[in-house]
Amino acid sequence: MSDATLTLSPTETVINAPATEVGHDPSMLISMRDIWKTYQMGTEKVHALHGVSFDIPRGEYIAIIGPSGSGKSTLMNLIGCLDTPTQGQYWLNGKNVSEMDDDELARIRNQEVGFVFQTFNLLARATALHNVELPLIYGGVGSSQRHEMAQKALTAVDLTDRMMHKPNELSGGQRQRVAIARALVNNPSILLADEPTGALDSHTSMEIMDLFERLHSEGNTIIVVTHEHDIAERAHRVISIRDGQIEKDERIR
Amino acid sequence: MIERSGEHEARPPRYTYARAILPARITSHPFFRLAAVWEAFRVATGSLRANLLRTALTLMGIIVGVTAVIAVVTIIKGLDQTVAQTFSSQGSTVFTISKNPQIIKSREEFIKFNRRKDVTHEDAETVARLCTACWRVGIAANAIETVKYQDQKAENVRIRGIEPLTMFDIDGVSIDAGRIWTESEGASGREICVIGPDMLKNLFGDAPADQALGKEVRIDGRPYLVIGVLEPLGSIFGFSRDNVIYIPYSTYQKAYGGRRSLVVFIQVPAAEQLEAAEDQVRTIMRSRRGLAMGEVEDEGFALETQDVFLNLYGSATSNIYIVTIGVAAISLVVGGIVVMNIMLVSVTERTKEIGIRKAIGARRKDILTQFLIEAVTVTALGGAIGVGTGFGLAYIISALIGFPLLVSVTSAVLGVGVSSVVGIISGLWPAWRAAKLDPIEALRAE
Repeated sequence: MSDATLTLSPTETVINAPATEVGHDPSMLISMRDIWKTYQMGTEKVHALHGVSFDIPRGEYIAIIGPSGSGKSTLMNLIGCLDTPTQGQYWLNGKNVSEMDDDELARIRNQEVGFVFQTFNLLARATALHNVELPLIYGGVGSSQRHEMAQKALTAVDLTDRMMHKPNELSGGQRQRVAIARALVNNPSILLADEPTGALDSHTSMEIMDLFERLHSEGNTIIVVTHEHDIAERAHRVISIRDGQIEKDERIR
Repeated sequence: MIERSGEHEARPPRYTYARAILPARITSHPFFRLAAVWEAFRVATGSLRANLLRTALTLMGIIVGVTAVIAVVTIIKGLDQTVAQTFSSQGSTVFTISKNPQIIKSREEFIKFNRRKDVTHEDAETVARLCTACWRVGIAANAIETVKYQDQKAENVRIRGIEPLTMFDIDGVSIDAGRIWTESEGASGREICVIGPDMLKNLFGDAPADQALGKEVRIDGRPYLVIGVLEPLGSIFGFSRDNVIYIPYSTYQKAYGGRRSLVVFIQVPAAEQLEAAEDQVRTIMRSRRGLAMGEVEDEGFALETQDVFLNLYGSATSNIYIVTIGVAAISLVVGGIVVMNIMLVSVTERTKEIGIRKAIGARRKDILTQFLIEAVTVTALGGAIGVGTGFGLAYIISALIGFPLLVSVTSAVLGVGVSSVVGIISGLWPAWRAAKLDPIEALRAE
C-alpha cells in the first residue's frame, strides 16, 4: 500500500506523453495506453499511476526504475496481471488484459508471465523441483512432461545437482535461481523480476544479473523493476517512473 | 563485459529452453485438473504432518462421533445375531396360550388381565383335541425356588412342571445324561426331576453329569430324585437358560396346587402353518370363553409367539440407535466447527503461500479445491480412525460379554463418508475466503 499513500501535487503535468493514440501496436509484446490506477483512501482518491503509456517489443531487456512510492510497484503488478488498471488499455501478447476477470488473469499469469520476487517466494516445504513444477501443475501439464520441463529449467539455471533440495537447504543465490527456473518453466512471454537482487549480496547479485543477461541473449523478454541504478544499467532500456508517471524512457545500449 | 561474454561463448549452450524448441503452449484448461487435486492432497497431508498435535486435536470430535456410531452399530448387530439364533432354537413354530401376555404395558392392562379366567388343563385338552393344524400341544407351569443338595444351595431356580413329554421337544431341550421320565411316571406324581446343567455347577461342584444321577435334591424342602441332566442352552443377555429343573406336571400340581394359571404351548410342523393354527386355536378358545365371532371386547386369553421378545428387543435397540445417532451428530457438528476454526487459522497462516500460488497461475477454484481437500482429508482421516477405534471397542465388549463380532463394511464406509461430508461443509467457508484473497495483498503477508 506504500505506493498508494504518496501525495501528489494537483498542478503536476504530464512530462513525457508520447503515445496518446487509442489503438495499440500489434507488433509489440506489451502495449500500454493511458493507464491510470486510482486507490480510494477513505474519502480521498489517490492516483498511483496517471496516464502511463509505453510499448515493449519482443526480446527486449528493460528496467523500470523509480524511488519508493513512485508507482513502479503498481506498474509491475499491472504488467504482471496481478491487478487491472482503473482506466486505460493494456495489451499483452495481443490480448487485452485490462478487462479480464480473476480467473482469466490467473491463466494469463500462468501462461504469459514469469515472476521473480525479491524474497524468492518459494514454497518452504517443497523441493526445488516441485517448486519449479508448480506453474505446470496449474497449467494442466501431465506429470512426466512436467518433470522433464522442470528439470530442463533447473538445468538452465545450473541447479542440476540441487533439484531435490528444499529452499532452506539452499543459499540465497540458489533460491533465486530456483525462482527464475520456476518463472521460466512455462515458457512465458515476459520474465518479470521485482528487485531480484534486493535480498542478495553483491557477488550473488552479479551472478543473477549475468543469468538474466544470458536468458535475454537466448530470446527472453525481461523486465526488471528496481530502485538500484547499477542493476537498471544492465538493461538495454530504462523507464524511469516518478510520481505515477513516466519521467524518462531511454535506450542505453 | 567482454570477458564474460567470451566465457559464455566458450561454454556449450546449456540452456536448451529457447522458444523454438519448447513443446506447444498448453491450451487446455479443464475445470477439474487431476494434477492440481493431487497437488492439493500432497499439500494437505504435508501440512497435517507438520502440525501433528493440532491435527490430533482437530480430529478428536470427529473420532469420538464415528467411534460411538461404529461401536454401537457393531455391538447391536452382534446382539441381533445372538438373539435371532437364540429364539430360533425354540423357533417360530411355537406359540402359547396364556392368561397374561408376557409384556404388560400398564396398570390398567394388569387389572384387566387379572380379571381373566385362568388357562386350565381342560383348555389344553380341548385345543389338542380340536386343533387339526396343531402338531404338538403341551402345558407348562413355572415356579421360582431355592434348591439344595447337602450343604450346597442354588437360588432362583426355575421349576418347570410340564406335560406331556413332548414339552421337552417344544422347549428345544435334550438329555445329556440319564433319562427323562416315562409316561406312567409322569402321571404318577412321583418326586423325580431332570436338572439343567447350572445345577451341576451350583449344587454338585461341577461334577460330571452322570454323577448327579440318582442323587436327591430338595426343592422348597421336598426331596426329588435326579433322573436326568439336560444339555446346556447357554445364556442370553446374561440370563442363564440352564438354571432350570423340569418336573412332571402331576408332581408340580401336588407341590403347588392346581389352581395356578397354565401356559399352553403349541407347536406346528413348519412356520407357514403357524397362522392357520393360531386361527383355529383362537376360535376354540373364544368359544370356550363364551365369545361370539367378531366380538371386539377382551378375548380373555393371550396368543403369543416368541416375536413379542423380538419386538421388545427391536424397540429397545432402536432407541439405543437413536440416542447414539444423536450423540454422534452432536460430536460431528462440534468436530466440524473445530475443523472450520482450524481451517481458518490455516488459511491465515498460509496467506503468503496462497499469494505465491495465485501469482504463478492458481485460479480461485484451484485454491478452493486445495483447502477443501485439506478439510476433507482431516475429517476422513478422523472418520477412518473412528471406524478403527469403534471396531476395537466393539471387539473388546463382544469378547467380554460373549457375542459374535460382525464387522460391517457398510458402516465403515458410512463412517468415513459422513465425516468427509462434514469436512466439505466445514471447509467450504475457509476455502472460499482463501480463494478470493487478492494476490497482491496475499503476497505482502508474512
